[in-house]
Amino acid sequence: MNRHTENRRNLRYARAEFADRLILALVLAGIALFILYPIVSVVATSFFKDGRFTLEYYRELATPKSLKLIKNSLWVSTLSSVFTTAAAFFIALAAFAESGKRRSFIRNGLLLTMISPPFVSALAYILLFGRRGIITHQILGLSVNPYGWHGIVILQVIGSVSFAALMLLNSFDNLDQRLILASRDLGATPAQTLFGVILPLVRPGLLSVLFMLFTMNLADFGTPIVIGGNYKVLATEAYTQVISTANLGRASAISVLMVPAAALAFYFYYRAMKMNEGNSGTGRAAMGDVSAYPLTGGVAVVTRAVTGLFFLVMALKYGNIFLSAFSNTAKGCLDFTLDYFGDLPRSQWSSFRHSLVYSAIAAAVASLLGILLSYYTHRRKIRGMRGAEFLASLPHIIPGTFYGLGYVAAFSHPPIYIRGTSVIIIANLIFRQLSLTCKSANAAFTGLNRKLEDAARDLGASRMDILGGIILPLLRQIFVTGFISIFTSCMTSVGAIIFLISPGKNVASAELFQSIENGRYGVASVQAVFIILVTVSINLVSMNLLKRSKRGGK
Amino acid sequence: MKKRMIAAAMAVTVLAASLTGCQSSKPAETTAAATTAAATTAAETTKAPETTAAETTAAVKPYEGTTLNVMLAYGGADAAFDGFTEKTGIKVEYVEISTGKALAQLQAENGNTTADVWFGGGVDSYISAAKLGYLEQYVSPEADAINPAYRDSEGYWTGLALVPAGFLVNNDVLKEKNLEAPKTWEDLTDPKYKGEIIMASPAISGTQYAILNGTIQALGEEKGWEVWKGINDNVDFYAQGGGEPGPKCAAGEFGIAVLAMTGGTFAMEKEYPVTAIYPEDMIPWTPAPIGIFKSSQNKDAAKVFVDYFLSKEGQEALREADARVMARGDVAVPEAIGNVDTDKLINQDVTLFGSQREDLLAKWAELVGDKDSK
Repeated sequence: MNRHTENRRNLRYARAEFADRLILALVLAGIALFILYPIVSVVATSFFKDGRFTLEYYRELATPKSLKLIKNSLWVSTLSSVFTTAAAFFIALAAFAESGKRRSFIRNGLLLTMISPPFVSALAYILLFGRRGIITHQILGLSVNPYGWHGIVILQVIGSVSFAALMLLNSFDNLDQRLILASRDLGATPAQTLFGVILPLVRPGLLSVLFMLFTMNLADFGTPIVIGGNYKVLATEAYTQVISTANLGRASAISVLMVPAAALAFYFYYRAMKMNEGNSGTGRAAMGDVSAYPLTGGVAVVTRAVTGLFFLVMALKYGNIFLSAFSNTAKGCLDFTLDYFGDLPRSQWSSFRHSLVYSAIAAAVASLLGILLSYYTHRRKIRGMRGAEFLASLPHIIPGTFYGLGYVAAFSHPPIYIRGTSVIIIANLIFRQLSLTCKSANAAFTGLNRKLEDAARDLGASRMDILGGIILPLLRQIFVTGFISIFTSCMTSVGAIIFLISPGKNVASAELFQSIENGRYGVASVQAVFIILVTVSINLVSMNLLKRSKRGGK
Repeated sequence: MKKRMIAAAMAVTVLAASLTGCQSSKPAETTAAATTAAATTAAETTKAPETTAAETTAAVKPYEGTTLNVMLAYGGADAAFDGFTEKTGIKVEYVEISTGKALAQLQAENGNTTADVWFGGGVDSYISAAKLGYLEQYVSPEADAINPAYRDSEGYWTGLALVPAGFLVNNDVLKEKNLEAPKTWEDLTDPKYKGEIIMASPAISGTQYAILNGTIQALGEEKGWEVWKGINDNVDFYAQGGGEPGPKCAAGEFGIAVLAMTGGTFAMEKEYPVTAIYPEDMIPWTPAPIGIFKSSQNKDAAKVFVDYFLSKEGQEALREADARVMARGDVAVPEAIGNVDTDKLINQDVTLFGSQREDLLAKWAELVGDKDSK
């Protein structure tokens, strides 16, 4: 080898090394600036009163009432997460065990039902199962109180089961299918295979989904506020403190109370991820469209029952939203109407445009950043990255409104004055959702064999070659599903954004939220239908693009 | 089997007939007359220096092209903004945000908001914001036509309209439970209504706070709290916003809602088996104010905006957009909000809304215990 080429190669390595460092630095800077700084800004308000350091807000919290709030929060979050994970397990199993059209039906059903504008499902629930609910009162003749912890649990399960099932399906598909085939060849019953082989293998996936749900449910204030009645949790308390007494300090202290529980959940999540490592083999993709585990016997009954129930609930929920948009129930009779379309806010269309643009940008950037963060943390195992990953998951842990107020507090003055711009909204969307793709990329990395990268390195590939030529193409599906799910939650979530929208920069989900607050449920339903339809179309287009690019790649 | 089929068919039909709340559509306003009248009034309201309206268009529309950002907490008012833009050339962008949230946001950004004008909502938030120094003092020349009880003596805010409060009852629920509709505030304390009353938390809803403060001002401390203790015994939990009780009552979740009596409340009578009732003993009310933010960069245009909506023309446009009792005495009470007996409006001191807030809500928290968060 002559010196010239060697020099050139060294230069190429050096450049790649530099680019690698630069990307890492950018990811870290983003996290510091748009996650750490706003959170610190708002948490600081709990330690300072009139410019002086104080623990007063925390002392005020040392009451039996706070203890009860903590207990309530833990109880509800635990129940919701356990039930959701259990239901999601069977739905994912159904999709895993089926093949062909049925499999894609379940999969697409899961993807589409992830589109769930908040509060609207609560509305459907009250109308169907409330004190005078159509099902509970008019059909069954009961008068049930829908408010309370059971209402929160039911709605949280319905709200997050699709997402959880999709995550689990990913773990199922990444299992070494040969183990399942072997177990069947050795004469195991379906139940034995399920409990002896599949369950232990997906346990890390199950646990990571469980803990992820736990933190999400802990931070959820929208559901408890609508359906909790007098059952209060930390997240609602923090929210109402902010909007009722404008007592930022106390609200911030309450949110801080949620961090230990969330940190613990994160720790368990992390351990579960570790257990998963090295567990790779022949995934579902390698099997062609053949199921290694066709459903039979008792397992089939349970699995199909849970999946059927899931689709029934979703049909009720979406049916109700659509009907509410087009009908007026004048004194109990069905009356189709288009009135609500006329009542849409004046700024509806510009808000919609903003929503689309902001969500698309945020989804693309967040998906990429999430994959990169996961890559540096779990593939490259760079020291201290775990801390960065924990920081990145904080926006999911603390209540959204609170994260939004952090942005207001941090970016309303120099050095970074971006209040009232689109940038602040997009940045908030990106960094709130970052950990979503990061987590699915984590799961993908554990199932992805390192040998390919090792081989490439041996053959002289630089870091950039590996990242751009192997990692990103291999994680294309993670990127697309990440894009879809982030786009979806950007289109539908309101929590953090409420405080960041400014006149002329409104978004559709915030207008939906406002309609519900004003009690204009008909208009809200129309807005929800629009959001659902648009998000569904975007999802279908992305899914098709993915399918086509897969075929093209073959 | 057949029974089941019928049940299923019923389920589908009734499901289809799912109850949803909605307000009747607001007719488009902005009459041609408003535009023709523009030239004369604009010259007055913008205080254009001694030029006649006919001279130049620039004199009539000195702020043409300016955009005002409005924080809006006045349902339906946006329909009246087009008329203003047509007349003055000032564009209006708005974002709907409840006043409690707006105040939290203002605090987080230390009053350094990008909005110019605050429009409608709970007066207690305006009083707090003024105290924190977030609002600009401005006494509009139109303010003379407005009852001093409806505006701030120092000019930090001026009432656009009054929001009276009352009851909404679900006739089906009451009939089923064999209850008659309540007529007075004291009626609500009757144990027979236990579990049937829904109202918002006064810590969150400006209207509900006004109801609490107003009734206590009218009944006196002792009697007032006695009544509220009785009402609290009948309430299961408090809604987390003023928009919630109406639709919940319309849906039959509760027999009685305590709420703001706006055009929307009365519109529900046409769509649901509900009746809106003004209490016979006294009607609590709160002004829906307008104010200018101190940090506004467009204060002159903002003043034009405030003047317009306090003028007779602007008030009428606003009344058209959302039926309310307007603050100006010379603007008639709209029919859409029923037969409100203005003599029954509580004779109250609105400034106490601000100064008593903390004490009152602390007492409230003590009274209700776990049912309400604050």
